[in-house]
Amino acid sequence: MNGWTGQFLRVNLTAKTFKKEPFSEDFARKWIGGRGFAVKILFDELAPGIDPLGPDNKFIVALGPIAGIPAPNTGKAVVAGKSPSTGGYGDGNLGTRVAEQLRKAGYDALIVEGRAAGPTMLYIEDDKVEFLPAGEVWGKGTYATNDWIYAKYGKGVGVLNIGQAGENLVRYAVVRSLEGRAGGRTGMGAVMGSKLLKAVVVKGTKPIPQADPAGMKKVGMDDLREVHQIDKKAGWSIQSTNGVLAWCNEVAALPVRNFRKTHHPDAWKVDGERLNNARIATYGCPNCTMRCGITIHDDEGRESELDYENVGLLGPNLEIFDLAQLGSLNYLCDDYGIDTMSGGCVLSFYADAIDHGAVAGDYRFNDAAGSKKLLGLIARREGEIGNILAEGSLRAARKFGHGSEAYAMQVKGLEVAAYNCKFIPGMALAFGVSPIGAHHKESWVITFELKQTSRESYGPEKAQKVIDLQRIRGGLFEYIVSCRFPWIEVGWSLENYPKYFKLVSGLDWTLDDFWTISDRIYSMIKLFWLREYPRTDRKLDYPPAVWFDPSNADTEGPIAGKILEYDKYDGLLQHYYDLRGYDRRGIPTKATLERLGLAAEGRAAEKFGALT
Amino acid sequence: MKITVKLIGPFVQLFGFSEKELDVPEGTTADDLAGFVSIDRSRPKIVTRNGRAVVPGEGLADGDRVVISPIYSGG
Repeated sequence: MNGWTGQFLRVNLTAKTFKKEPFSEDFARKWIGGRGFAVKILFDELAPGIDPLGPDNKFIVALGPIAGIPAPNTGKAVVAGKSPSTGGYGDGNLGTRVAEQLRKAGYDALIVEGRAAGPTMLYIEDDKVEFLPAGEVWGKGTYATNDWIYAKYGKGVGVLNIGQAGENLVRYAVVRSLEGRAGGRTGMGAVMGSKLLKAVVVKGTKPIPQADPAGMKKVGMDDLREVHQIDKKAGWSIQSTNGVLAWCNEVAALPVRNFRKTHHPDAWKVDGERLNNARIATYGCPNCTMRCGITIHDDEGRESELDYENVGLLGPNLEIFDLAQLGSLNYLCDDYGIDTMSGGCVLSFYADAIDHGAVAGDYRFNDAAGSKKLLGLIARREGEIGNILAEGSLRAARKFGHGSEAYAMQVKGLEVAAYNCKFIPGMALAFGVSPIGAHHKESWVITFELKQTSRESYGPEKAQKVIDLQRIRGGLFEYIVSCRFPWIEVGWSLENYPKYFKLVSGLDWTLDDFWTISDRIYSMIKLFWLREYPRTDRKLDYPPAVWFDPSNADTEGPIAGKILEYDKYDGLLQHYYDLRGYDRRGIPTKATLERLGLAAEGRAAEKFGALT
Repeated sequence: MKITVKLIGPFVQLFGFSEKELDVPEGTTADDLAGFVSIDRSRPKIVTRNGRAVVPGEGLADGDRVVISPIYSGG
């Protein structure tokens, strides 16, 4: 089967066993890889209601047909499982050599089951799997763990590892790789930790099956050079993702003070220009053409790799406008293996809750030293507050009470990314209907909203744009498994991806064929959620209540007096459901499931929650 | 009239300034302004005036803040 290795590697940590499992070409064509493989496996194999931090959950690393093949930005892998933060389907992607090495070892996905008897490192080399002790690095951060692994195997191997946050089951712990990559902010690091799985190391030596390897090699190498040249001309990498910070500040979309404010006069101090000036190194993922990781010295002289989301949420959102200070918070998150976005939102929520009298405490905004201390308490689940905040903002709000849930900046339990949607209805919808909880990776519509439509509009054009972007960002790039940046940031044509797909698989597909796959996967994820939340309703797709609160409206600036409106948001949500073929709860109808080839999965889900 | 122009992202390095005040004739539009700061009209960009995206041909007023940005797409 060209385009796929045709087999999964299934590892059981409890029994210390492993087996190779072939999958059919029909399966491959229906689910393609990455997120598609992950959700299908999890839906079929997990009993609804299992504890995401128990041995019954599974940790999946899934790759796609172009993952690891030399072509623009293909060095990515999807990590997935039932999410400890949301209780629904959870995944994330990260740049890692595992993409290439696992496929060269002969596998399109790794499925990890059970729970090890003690801290374990899984070593995979082609047909060999070893369960190695990792007690030496248990309790250590991701940087020390990475160094320990490199010292054993060299830097050419693929590595996934966790820090103290994953070990201690912080619900928003991430998986880390390379020097600065992180993924799985839905708590995939905690899933690894719950299995006492400190690290996965992969080395492969086999060729990846391809229909036209010579053609793919030539096209891939030519395109790597071309995208790099396009980026150099466009200049995107100069400020990288943090270029958008100054723009968000200008259009009142920046998260400031737990999203209470949308802009700040000191934002320029941490913008892309300042970050570029402070740069000491630049990092990227394997096969990267436009490296986005700008590294600076933090306030303790350590190297900290920053991008917009962590600057926005650990900086302005905490009212910290000092790059070295927020760089330090970012370093700690990365070393502990805490998601920087959720970490920033949890800290800002705590400061806000103290401000509003929901809980007593001496932490405050613009408190870098206090933030550092709290991150340590969270990572170690130390003390009452460390334990509460390690649960995430939604659970912490339910503990604090006093109406604080309204300003816990999350959807479905996952904290929002660094776009303040106080008055950006389409982006608020994008967060609301993201299938893993609030995440910008699924759909990002702000420039469309401001440039192509009226910001005030709640019309179907915004719902359609959210769907169009979901099909590409949360769809294509998450199952073919490749970084979206060449397309999204420097205009690399989407038509290149069916071209790559044909070279590796021999299949001549159009983008419309891929959009059907995307819609299938989104509906499949909805069925996973339905099983876990049988009494689900559309409120699960609502953004944080504070964005609807008139008392929270800006008092000056471009959106003074403006907020989201409940009735209108609900109408926008209904446009989305109608266009998707979902019912009023946001669940695919039987007709939609039939159309997408999911009738059998629908019948399986129907045992737990009704379909219409 | 005096207009403050702010460039975003790589435009800062590509066009040589971050923010400056320009003295422009009455009747100048936001589209004209991009030309004044040497940004090719065909280059994809989003222009905002006092925080709101401009419509084609939109005129400027004294004291306006105009921001010219590449089209970011959310990483």
